[in-house]
Amino acid sequence: MRKKLVAACLLACMVFTTTACGSGSDSKAASKSGSDGTGSALFTGELEENVTIQVLENDTAISEGYFQELIDAFNEEYKDKGIQAVDANMDQYLDLANDGPYGYGPDVLYQANDVIMKYAEGKHILPLPVEDLDCYDQIPESAWQAYQTEVDGKTYTCGVPVNVQAPMLYYRKDLLPDDWESTWDKDSDGVPDMTENWSSMYEYSVARHSEDSSKYGYMKSLNDMYFASGFLFSYGGYIFGDNNTDASDIGFAAGEAEKGANVLSQLASAMNEDCIDDTITTNAYSKLADGTYFATISTPDVYSTFLAELEKEYVSEGLSEDDAAAKAKENLVMTSLPQLPESGDLTDGSTEMIDSKSMGGVNGYAISSYTKAPNACLEFVKFATSYEMTKLRAETLGVAPAREDAAEEVGGVSKEIYQNLDNGNIILMPSITEVSQIWTPGQTFFIDLAKDVYRPESEKKYTSLESMKAGLEDMCNQINEAITTLQ
Amino acid sequence: MKSNREKIREFLGNASAPVKLSFLIMGSGHFRYGARGKGLIYLLIEISMIVYLIRRGISDIIGFFTLGTVHADAWAGVEGDNSVVMMLMGIFAWIVVFAFVFLYQQNVRSAYDLQKRVEQGLPVPTLKDDLASLLDRKFYMLVLALPVIGVCIFNVLPIIFMILIAFTNYGGTIVPPELVDWVGFDNFKKLVVLTKFAPTFGKILSWNLLWAVLSTTLNYFAGIGLALLLNKECVRGKAFWRAFPVLAYAIPGFITLLAFKFMFSYGGPINQMIISHGGTAIGFLDLDAKWSARIIGLLVNCWISVPSIMLLATGHLSNRDKSLYEAARIDGAGKFAQFWKLTMPFMIFATTPVLLGQFIGNFNNFGIFYFLRGGLYMDGYFLASDTDLLINWLYNLSIDNNYYCIGAAISLIIFLITSAISLVVYVKSPSYREEDTFQ
Repeated sequence: MRKKLVAACLLACMVFTTTACGSGSDSKAASKSGSDGTGSALFTGELEENVTIQVLENDTAISEGYFQELIDAFNEEYKDKGIQAVDANMDQYLDLANDGPYGYGPDVLYQANDVIMKYAEGKHILPLPVEDLDCYDQIPESAWQAYQTEVDGKTYTCGVPVNVQAPMLYYRKDLLPDDWESTWDKDSDGVPDMTENWSSMYEYSVARHSEDSSKYGYMKSLNDMYFASGFLFSYGGYIFGDNNTDASDIGFAAGEAEKGANVLSQLASAMNEDCIDDTITTNAYSKLADGTYFATISTPDVYSTFLAELEKEYVSEGLSEDDAAAKAKENLVMTSLPQLPESGDLTDGSTEMIDSKSMGGVNGYAISSYTKAPNACLEFVKFATSYEMTKLRAETLGVAPAREDAAEEVGGVSKEIYQNLDNGNIILMPSITEVSQIWTPGQTFFIDLAKDVYRPESEKKYTSLESMKAGLEDMCNQINEAITTLQ
Repeated sequence: MKSNREKIREFLGNASAPVKLSFLIMGSGHFRYGARGKGLIYLLIEISMIVYLIRRGISDIIGFFTLGTVHADAWAGVEGDNSVVMMLMGIFAWIVVFAFVFLYQQNVRSAYDLQKRVEQGLPVPTLKDDLASLLDRKFYMLVLALPVIGVCIFNVLPIIFMILIAFTNYGGTIVPPELVDWVGFDNFKKLVVLTKFAPTFGKILSWNLLWAVLSTTLNYFAGIGLALLLNKECVRGKAFWRAFPVLAYAIPGFITLLAFKFMFSYGGPINQMIISHGGTAIGFLDLDAKWSARIIGLLVNCWISVPSIMLLATGHLSNRDKSLYEAARIDGAGKFAQFWKLTMPFMIFATTPVLLGQFIGNFNNFGIFYFLRGGLYMDGYFLASDTDLLINWLYNLSIDNNYYCIGAAISLIIFLITSAISLVVYVKSPSYREEDTFQ
């Protein structure tokens, strides 16, 4: 009897597994027929009717409610055509290359340029007729370039830039010295010098720490390549040659990049050992709030986290929640990165300054090659990148739009970021796959540079600009080896 | 060999026409000798095999060799071939073919057996009899069938797939929709020829072996020690004390590792204590910290693994023959002599397979240094750091680059090393050689 029971169970399992296999192959067969005949020529302008478009959006845009507003507005507008946009409800880290051909995946996706362009290599996203979009003239060339790919000698644009991410300086106004207007504003422009140039920032950091050894000025972990590499770019370094498309030319040591390394090393000497690992990156929110740090750099999307942390601190000091919120907003300042001394030395008192450059990214929309309604998707992209929606996105999420008119209208930091992008001060992350190899060698070099500051005098490796240049060249070699050795 | 030939000659001489017809039409011998049900099943197997071959089997096998000929182009609407899927379906087709060959052979053999039974006047088992025997005499076959099929699909297929990947150029820029090709031993040649490779491989392998031996020994003795301690009669509230290591065991490993990484970081509690007592912060896990990082790795691994060994040992220790200890005591053996001469041989006998499992697990312990000290490339190492194990190096080389083929080749080498070590150790161990010592 017992054996029969076991046998029955086994049989049931078998039937269950075979049916599971069966349904899998069915859905595959069904999707095959649907993906026939797609191509960029499909943007005929004739809208597919009665279709549902799956849109993969950014998590913050969903949680802050912007995405709901966007699809509500779109669905209202296209109600009579029967076009409906819905949340694709999929993971941000989906794999369109592997899932798309089998009918799984969104029709429209919003991602960072390096993610989107990874899909362009395998033609998993469609080339778009971007010249027809009303945002075309409003977005700077460099942002479009981040979405361009070359196939058989022809250039295609596979995405529409929406917002720009770049490092910003965060500092606390209420931690400025009381007499800053007379002592720390040499050019009398009403902006503290330490937020305008790194030399003054360094000077102030040293002064603040020597006054009270538990307090620091500017603090940031050096091990983060994303933030640290900007210092190299400012003095002539770059990531890859030929507009970030030629991985055989790695330029972190190019020009006078070693001056950037020197500046970083000087800044690190005014911090503490926490700058060697990611300690400062993780505790910057609370330490800026409790006044241990005066300034740090981070991306604009974490502004609300800094703000919330500062509010909490004010509340704990006895302020009411409303007062704390108002005071935090007043005192927490997010601004463009300070300028750098052309000499590459923060202590020589030189006044010749150059603009800081930084690594950045641009997020945008792309359309999957496997969509059944390319024209409706394009219509959605047009709608979502329009002036009104871009402005609303920037206002709701505090992000910096890639559209000039929207950036102008929103003003403030958004405008600053737009201008930095337009001036070429934001180096957009390369869109080629080789970029994944820059992080570990870069991180190792910057950790070594930070660690060197705290090594005993006799063990120091980076004592001159030449040794820093050699270190950077080593790092480029490592990246090159990582890319080419196994090719 | 000769006997086989004789068997075939005998078969050809004696087999009746319907049995010989079974070569062409499966189950015909069974029909002739009255086992209709079985005959019908064999016939159905043949028909479904032919249908499978026509519908996709043949193209799957051809695809296994070509790995695709049509390049997919989503822009042009060309669906194209997916080499990886083709290889997978090709392997599956081979498995089906081998299974069919086995059944085909069974069909002829069992038809011949039937003929002999009939000739000898023995009763012919009906399908019902056969099915009944599956629930009785051949019950093991029925019970094992599902696991065997499961193992084939979920274990054997991926392993064969992984091994075969090592002989292709899959990876780098060659991922679908690009077509993958067979490249023979090129990947292995690459590993041998690259000059940068050998020194790093040597350094990492020697540290990897040292790590595996040290961590296994440390975990094992610490686990047994803890079990013996908590087994002592004088310990009160054993369950309470045992709960602590189990708690450490219950927390997912990577969370423990991240917690330890924070503990030893510059801003972590240990450095905070050092600084508050007037010292300077120590970089326990940073760039220059070769041995301190390695030792922390060993101890953290101990923290994670000891509880499982302790639980295992607690079980085994309760099976000890107490009379042996009594006799040893009477003969004047001390505590240490008892431990080394009685407890250890018993434990080693009982746990050698587990110990080997631990050794292999530690040899391939990816998480420890990935979470404690990832993201560093050291001077003198090619794309690796001085705490990386082979498995971490494999990850740096293959996953960051998407070089699946190279990754598969290195995995095969790691597999050869670990399987050679485990085989030698196991064959030499008392668990294998003196199987009946403790029975």
